[in-house]
Amino acid sequence: MMSDRLPMSVTVNGETHTVLASPSATLLDVLRDELSLTGTKRGCNHGVCGACTVLIDGKLARSCLALAADIGERLVVTVEGVADGREFSAVQRALIESGAIQCGFCTPGFVIALTHLFSSNPRPERETIRAALSGNLCRCSGYVKIVEAAERLAELRP
Amino acid sequence: MEFVSPTTLDEAYRALSADEARCLAGGQSLVAMMNLGLVAPGRLVSLRKIESLRGIVMQPDGSVRIGAMTTHAELADLDLPGAAVSLLASAARVVAYPAVRMQGTLGGSIAHADPAADYPVALTAAEARIEIGSQYGTRLVEARDFFRGVFETKLQHGEIVTAVVLQPAAPDAGAAYVKLSLVAGDFAIVSVAAIVARTAQIAIGGCGPKPLFVSGLAVTDDALLAAAKQLAEDSDPPSDQRASAGYRRRIIPGIVRRAVRAAQASG
Repeated sequence: MMSDRLPMSVTVNGETHTVLASPSATLLDVLRDELSLTGTKRGCNHGVCGACTVLIDGKLARSCLALAADIGERLVVTVEGVADGREFSAVQRALIESGAIQCGFCTPGFVIALTHLFSSNPRPERETIRAALSGNLCRCSGYVKIVEAAERLAELRP
Repeated sequence: MEFVSPTTLDEAYRALSADEARCLAGGQSLVAMMNLGLVAPGRLVSLRKIESLRGIVMQPDGSVRIGAMTTHAELADLDLPGAAVSLLASAARVVAYPAVRMQGTLGGSIAHADPAADYPVALTAAEARIEIGSQYGTRLVEARDFFRGVFETKLQHGEIVTAVVLQPAAPDAGAAYVKLSLVAGDFAIVSVAAIVARTAQIAIGGCGPKPLFVSGLAVTDDALLAAAKQLAEDSDPPSDQRASAGYRRRIIPGIVRRAVRAAQASG
């Protein structure tokens, strides 16, 4: 389907960008192909795998299921916006320290899902962690260490 | 493709009058289908900025009106009295995954009408009504009539699902939604929604083009088993990658009993 490209604005990690994109372009397309924010991964491209998970106004979202033209004034946070400058976030450190990374393709989605979980619940139980991660697939099947990383972080929290 | 984002329903109805125009709600089904090349709308009318499609209001007659753009996550957290509300909230908690629940909407899901989705079953069991708007006004359609088949509803060109209206159930009624799926977040193999007071009313999903519904059931084990066997016989379940038709028919009685007992325990 060929569509004319239209100007649209998206605010990602605190910066507002105006890009030219097709009205059927997804937020994922714009992040990766227009803004070169390739931390967000294109896995299944239809909402099943979770590799493209971002935050939109603080809520979890599949960036492959959001149209860029529909983002409007809402604020997008990608994995590139999670770290504090050059310092990894607590979630990122917990994943590294637990060895909860294999090929790494699903990791950005897990980082966002866990960032969302810990922002509302600093000490989640195992079942809460598992439920919060239920929409993210790891094809290396490295779930045990990912859940352990989250549990370890939960224990470190006051 | 053209993209428009009206702020009022009247503007939305005008934009929808074009051929090939489709509503965009949360996008959790529609954008997936676009990405897969299954649909290519000529014009998308985003409902995101229309305030009147949001909000949950307890009305003077005790019914609850839920705006169509309410997300699954908002429904899952809904804390209002009544068996119908608690049934819908239970169903919302098992729709897909957290990210989909935070973006996907009640109206979008029911307009899409996947036969294995959760709301058609819950709304049929609750004898809810679907509010449909168009430039000619608003009409209310019983959920049982609204869902007509596989991805097929009473919606006509130019119409929008604007709200769902839940009628109050008996004050002592309990409700439960039991869903059997391969993994958390998947569509149902079979799901059963039940509202139970002195008798039970239930709907069964995943077992045919639209939910099966039966009311006035006695709640003894024998009566439930007999009714569920009859429902299983009347059902027209698919055989797909999740389960065979025969398997679905076989497990219906067990899931019905589980749902009715859970509803009684919650009442």
